[in-house]
Amino acid sequence: MIVNRLIEKAMEKAHGAQASLGQSESTSVSFENDKLKSVRSSQGTGMSIRIIVDGKIGSSHTTDIDDVDGVVARALEAAEFGSPAHFEFPGPQQGPDVKVYDHAVVPVTKEEMVRIGEEMMTLMKEYSPHILVNARASRGVSSIEFANSAGMAYSTETTNFGVGVDGQWIRGTDILMAGHGFGWKKREIDHVEVAKKAIKLFKMAENIAPIKSGDMPVVFTPEGVRVLLLALILGFDGKNVFLGSSPLAGKLGEKIADEAFALTDNPLLDYAGGSSTYDGEGVPHQVTPLIEDGVVKNFLYDLDTAGRAGTETTGNGIGCSPTNLVIKEGDTPFEEMVKNTREGLLVHNVLGLGQGNPISGEFSVNVQLGYRIEKGDIVGRVKDVMLAGNTYDALKNIAAIGDKAEWAGGSLLTPPIQIARLSVVAK
Amino acid sequence: MRERIEKALRKSDAEYTEIRIESLASSWAEFRGEELDSIGSSKALGGIVRALVKGGWGYATFNDLSSLEDRVKEACESARLVGREESKFAEVEPVVDETTATLEKDFRKISLSEKKSVIEEYNRVILGYHDKIETSNVGYSDSFRKVWYGNSEGTYIEDERPDAGVRLSATAREGDNVQRGFESVAGTAGFQVIEGLQEKAEAAARRSVDLLSAPPVTGGRYTVIINPRLAGVFAHEAFGHLSESDFVYENERLKELMVLGKRFGSDILNIIDDGAIPGLRGTHTYDDEGVKTRKNYLIKDGILVGRLHSRETAAKMGEEPTGNARAIGYQHQPIVRMTNTYIDKGHATFEDMIRDVNLGLYAIDMVGGQTSMEMFTFSAAYGYMVRNGKIGELVRDIVLTGNVFETLMNIDMIGDAVELPPVGGGCGKGAQAPLPVALGGPYIRIHEVVVGGRQQ
Repeated sequence: MIVNRLIEKAMEKAHGAQASLGQSESTSVSFENDKLKSVRSSQGTGMSIRIIVDGKIGSSHTTDIDDVDGVVARALEAAEFGSPAHFEFPGPQQGPDVKVYDHAVVPVTKEEMVRIGEEMMTLMKEYSPHILVNARASRGVSSIEFANSAGMAYSTETTNFGVGVDGQWIRGTDILMAGHGFGWKKREIDHVEVAKKAIKLFKMAENIAPIKSGDMPVVFTPEGVRVLLLALILGFDGKNVFLGSSPLAGKLGEKIADEAFALTDNPLLDYAGGSSTYDGEGVPHQVTPLIEDGVVKNFLYDLDTAGRAGTETTGNGIGCSPTNLVIKEGDTPFEEMVKNTREGLLVHNVLGLGQGNPISGEFSVNVQLGYRIEKGDIVGRVKDVMLAGNTYDALKNIAAIGDKAEWAGGSLLTPPIQIARLSVVAK
Repeated sequence: MRERIEKALRKSDAEYTEIRIESLASSWAEFRGEELDSIGSSKALGGIVRALVKGGWGYATFNDLSSLEDRVKEACESARLVGREESKFAEVEPVVDETTATLEKDFRKISLSEKKSVIEEYNRVILGYHDKIETSNVGYSDSFRKVWYGNSEGTYIEDERPDAGVRLSATAREGDNVQRGFESVAGTAGFQVIEGLQEKAEAAARRSVDLLSAPPVTGGRYTVIINPRLAGVFAHEAFGHLSESDFVYENERLKELMVLGKRFGSDILNIIDDGAIPGLRGTHTYDDEGVKTRKNYLIKDGILVGRLHSRETAAKMGEEPTGNARAIGYQHQPIVRMTNTYIDKGHATFEDMIRDVNLGLYAIDMVGGQTSMEMFTFSAAYGYMVRNGKIGELVRDIVLTGNVFETLMNIDMIGDAVELPPVGGGCGKGAQAPLPVALGGPYIRIHEVVVGGRQQ
């Protein structure tokens, strides 16, 4: 195995090493402007090594899997004046069971993906022939071999499958763009359902509904919840916590959100986008509660950051990033949230997210796809509207949490969430 | 490599085939807080075959060059599955050329330890600036890309594309109030570009501390004056993307909205994309279809006069290719992209712009921007209120939004000098980000800009 040769070579001079080899093949089809545009096939290889010499880390990566000596030499050069290591490579550990491979993905043909795209496109066209449609489907198989100098080794094969459809509807100078897509590690995706979700977004947008500036209740669809989540992803990053750039630093055990709010990092959901048995450092994955009953429970750590912070890794290496985020269901049906709103906003997609100072919790975004709620009904789409607020204030100000969680992409499972008041500026 | 590419091209039975192979050598170092967080280097070699049959495209990407001929066949097979109409692809004169990069200080010959020590100094400047500085994030990265391109029409080009840059980020904290100051510098000219940036590091640190006591901007509609760096983002988001013809060429309704000769702004507005300006990050001699880059007016005297094309969009719209088919790397096919985009100079001075503003906003430097064709946002790093013709207090969290059919018309003053600052980052489109581009312009003044934020 190549990873063993990498480790052997590295250990001639290093005191510790980890190596990985990744290989992948994938195919995808793409429809643009109402017709089949392209078919792609991709073949990829790459190997990485990370070593510790005299307590310092160096790393290197290459796509040339014959260049064992070169990639090791470059990592050694980096380690000579590398970053200080605050960990040791972990020994053999058995990780939990989680499904990441579906045999049904492997034989999916280009022709089958073309048919899926055509069917989604036809559904959109049946709803409105005026919508210019794009659609896509993709399948992929990848493998990872991992080993480290402490005897930990694993290899794993993963499949991926995804479909999506979106469209553009121009009326006068009004350009409406909306779509829906989903991808995970399993073949089983109801592409008709995906197209129906996209169509529903268009249907709700048939009328333009001007809205007045002011503070108002805002409902976020599962996709829209990303607006609130960005600050939390940065805020629960153990490195940001350790360095003090996270506003959550020092707040372990403190209540920061409504007590109905719970957030978990869960890499053990079968076939989800961020699922796998081990993290990138060979540490077994685990479920990590981040917020329970509104209280901060844990932060996310990799080996080195945990070493610096004097805690244990949570299996979020390398980089302290979440795997799949899950927000706990509440008890309010989505329909009820809308019905209980006299004047408010339903937010699905925004422009400009993260282009401010997101770690502080502040957001100020254009509502790219959102709807006015008036007297308990969704009456139409809003335009040229800015939504602003602070995630940490909003979480204390939750009016309702939906009773049904849905996937927004392949690695976020969340119900819709209603915030009691946020600031809306209209033209 | 030429022989290998040409031999593989001969295996194609498509109407048009191209092979682009790239080698990429990169290195990086990053400080977070007092400690070095990561240092290393990487090498990549890979390519893409693109084949055209009856208007349909087949792409095959790979790292394993030994199977190049099989990848050509695979791309042809895919293209045949797609193609159902007549291919349209603008004619260009085949060219054989080799261009080499001139680096004043070649970063490939500089050791990782020297790269580290340069940013270590900037990191020290930030951390030592003030006791309210909580942490820092200072990163160096460089890449040297060599491109071998050949197509079935006889074009063969070798090109070199260096890029090196530094990110300087300071975080200041006071209780729950966490503010960031950010600067970046990047360029294609060599390692000297990232040397001597102590003042920039200090500026980032100073801003993060200053922003601690700045209130968030009050939401509303303002007359806004934006500085050259932000004007570049504005040009890019407000109009640049809409001039990319792959959005337009098969979209009859958008063609009507974007018809050449239509007025988008007042007489003083000129927007240009120019991929041939020496030394900028969006500059190449040829694009990734082997088409020579050039200066393209998008808006002249307020009127839409041109757009950006690939060979396919140009043919389908009956216009000329403009050299704007670009790919971020060998895993991707070229698509229509901007290069160096700017608003051209006018006659106003900054003092002219603020003199008669009773309540306005002076927005400075960029964090980023995004567009959905009609509506767009662009974010300023910081800004000042303008009150009764004078610069007032510092404000933060400034995100501006506009509508392409209204906001450009609301530009009423344009400054008398263009700047194209050498900043880092890049543009994202589809799955391809970040693509090096340059952005710039003069100071400009825009009326009735919606600014997000809480209201009083």
